Amino acid sequence: MRRAALALVATVVGLVLLLGFKTHSATSTASPPAAVSAPTGSGSSGSGSSRSGSTSSPSGTGSGQSGGTAGQSGTAAGIKVTGSSVGTQYGPVQVQVTVANKKITAVTVLRYPTSTGRDQQINSYAIPVLKSETLSAQNANIDMVSGATYTSLGYIKSLQSALDQAGL
Amino acid sequence: MSGVAAVPGLLPTGRLPTRHVEHVMGTVVSFDLRDEVAPTVLTDAVEWLHRVDRTFSTYRSDSQISRLDRGELTAADCDADVRSVLALGSALAKASHGYFTVRPAGRLDPSGVVKGWAIERASDILRAGGSANHAVNGGGDIQLAGEAAPGQPWRVGIAHPHQPGELVTVVSGRDIAVATSGTAERGDHIVNPVTGRPATELASITLVGRDLTTVDAYATAAAAMGNAAREWVLELDGIAAFAVPAAGAPWWSADWAAVGSVPVAA
Amino acid sequence: MATWTDQRVRPAPRAVVPPPSPRPQPARSQPRTVLGLIALGALAVVALWWLDTPSVSGFGDWLTNAGRITGLLAGYAVVILLALMARIPAMERGIGTDRLARWHSMGGRYTVSLVVAHALLITWGYAVTAHTNVASQTATLLTSYPDVLMATVAGGLFVLVGAVSARAARARLRYETWYHLHFYTYLAVALAFSHQFAVGADFMTNLPARLLWSALYAGVAALLVWHRFVTPVRQALRHRLRVAAVHREAPGVVSVHITGRHLDELAAEPGQFFRWRFLTRDLWWSSNPYSLSAPASARLLRITVKDLGDHSAALARLAPGTRVFAEGPYGAFTAARRSRPKVLLLGGGVGITPMRALFETLPAGPGDLTLVYRASRQADVVLRRELDAIAARRGAQLHYLLGSRAKLGYDPLDARRLRALVPDLAAHDVYLCGPDAMTEAAERSLRAAGVPRSRIHAESFQL
Repeated sequence: MRRAALALVATVVGLVLLLGFKTHSATSTASPPAAVSAPTGSGSSGSGSSRSGSTSSPSGTGSGQSGGTAGQSGTAAGIKVTGSSVGTQYGPVQVQVTVANKKITAVTVLRYPTSTGRDQQINSYAIPVLKSETLSAQNANIDMVSGATYTSLGYIKSLQSALDQAGL
Repeated sequence: MSGVAAVPGLLPTGRLPTRHVEHVMGTVVSFDLRDEVAPTVLTDAVEWLHRVDRTFSTYRSDSQISRLDRGELTAADCDADVRSVLALGSALAKASHGYFTVRPAGRLDPSGVVKGWAIERASDILRAGGSANHAVNGGGDIQLAGEAAPGQPWRVGIAHPHQPGELVTVVSGRDIAVATSGTAERGDHIVNPVTGRPATELASITLVGRDLTTVDAYATAAAAMGNAAREWVLELDGIAAFAVPAAGAPWWSADWAAVGSVPVAA
Repeated sequence: MATWTDQRVRPAPRAVVPPPSPRPQPARSQPRTVLGLIALGALAVVALWWLDTPSVSGFGDWLTNAGRITGLLAGYAVVILLALMARIPAMERGIGTDRLARWHSMGGRYTVSLVVAHALLITWGYAVTAHTNVASQTATLLTSYPDVLMATVAGGLFVLVGAVSARAARARLRYETWYHLHFYTYLAVALAFSHQFAVGADFMTNLPARLLWSALYAGVAALLVWHRFVTPVRQALRHRLRVAAVHREAPGVVSVHITGRHLDELAAEPGQFFRWRFLTRDLWWSSNPYSLSAPASARLLRITVKDLGDHSAALARLAPGTRVFAEGPYGAFTAARRSRPKVLLLGGGVGITPMRALFETLPAGPGDLTLVYRASRQADVVLRRELDAIAARRGAQLHYLLGSRAKLGYDPLDARRLRALVPDLAAHDVYLCGPDAMTEAAERSLRAAGVPRSRIHAESFQL
């Protein structure tokens, strides 16, 4: 019995520690956003932790996070900013935007749900539309878009976090 | 597309807007607050939306609407909100000659008016909490307050139903509500209650007015009417309309130019 | 193996000759190495989650991620548990069947808990994130998520197997019933496998992870098939074991001599056992472990069995020529464990059989080897003549401690008496085998007498 209790306690403590580390690196510093200028490719990432029910306070550079898939990497053509991988019930969604001169020049959906036929169907028309809508929305200097509704919660949140990180 | 805040940029105050995304009522509601307010204000607005969801969702068997529909409750037993929404629904149904209805196919389903109404109320909560400039966008139906930045009205792009990724027009204004309805919507089809068949004549129609409750319901009604909406929207006071038919060129109401851009003939 | 060159060793005539050609030492896994590798694997699994998860925030997210971690660990633990039971020779010899079984059973309980925790945490986490109640979330998961229904059935099977393996339940079940129920774990693993890839966040879009995971499962499956199914069949064809003779050693005690071809290839070491299946109409369906009671030769294997139950009683009636299907050799209770010149063999009850084989062959000079045989009554002592002869031949000490503790009024195996019986006890290697009560008490006495744990080698037959 004692061994069982020990195993239980060790497991719970281990889980709490692991999850706690990830939560800490998510709530990043409150420093005002630095302009996303030099493509340093330092691999540091802001937070943009957005899940349903949490407010994303935008930030530029945040505390360095080891090995996280959200982050920034620089190239001459612009800075690629990756939003958090947002888990939705249908699977993880992750969006990456390329920013040059404070404008979005490209959008890549890195991860999206593909498990069911329904998802694949949606993805085949939704993702290209979402991508180009993001670009044209920016070009028209508008704040938001009204129109057909997609159940693209994951996309929104991930793109949101990418935009927040990019300081846009 | 709903809720994508593209390039608001840094506000002159040097702050960034507060944005929040909430999954509720079967859609995504985005908040974009351009003033600084206490965080509880936003929390209150979010909690309101969940309350509405719990009360009105037809997907929850324990919601008051579902129970009312099954006869387990009478209207008198329900919250005052339920009665106001049902009253609103009746008024809107009359004004739209039955094209908007809270009883599609005999079931009690006020979702067409609840969403807009809930978002408008959420905006009221934000105003009461001190936010004079904000946008609440529920899956494409938007209630705007104030302006995007001092001297800058809100700008809302309307997705082109035939050219994905393109905008067909841009609405700009202060304290306005924007709702778009049409066959491009995923989810329940809009059914023409007269013919009983899905309404397919209008690919999308956008209405702009002051309060989202009315604008949202009328946009749904207009989509159901199809081409006949062209005459009906002219009757509506204080509401501008822009429509893209499934076939043919876009048309718009006379007062559209005051709120939105007019496409160059192409 | 150490060689003790001591001029005083008398060359002695041997009744049974050990294998003539020196064989290269068979592979033996070290317990610590294996445990270390298992731990490393678990860390790698957690690292997979770590790398895939940029951030966690909110209660629902915490729950879901806790569910993902427990799910990953459960999927890993399952394959490790299977590997432990794959009867890989190096592990059987190096770690020991009984210790592997203990690891498997402790690990099994932990794994079933992980599986249940995973299911609950994921369901709850999803429900919180989607602001629905747990009941409707469960329904959604079961009906609209690919492969989750199968995985849930698998989870139920795991819990069932776990429940019947609990000591309280096992005591009430026949061994065969429990054994066959336990095979449902294979079905459970098969049912649960696909949902890991279909809905597992860490696998869905990560092809390298899927490949590695599949390789892990496939590798263990291959090991299982090879060592548990193919190898015994190959051995059966190669060695063609048959009963040569059945000797009555004493009332209720028989030795079964089994012959075959190329038996030296089995590399059966004294102290090891086989799982025997005697192919008669009554006995073919049951497989029982019995230790070799004499060193294996190129042509003969011997087991000595006391009449304790249906199966052992039936062995007395075996006809010569009966075919025998044997899986093995298994067990780490061998000379390889020893580290000191002086050795004490402490056996009781059925545990005397491997002792008898070790007593004859364990390298030791005169005076360095002691056998203590603990039995309740004179009538319970088996192979007495052989033991006496070996003791005389090798200059080894042999003590019979007879009488139950109740009758005697004291415990002949307490620390003081053991020290008196075996001078220099603390400097010995001790091999211990017998009924659990006896071995537990003896182990306590040995520790109290100063024998360090690393030099007490015990084997239990509670498999």
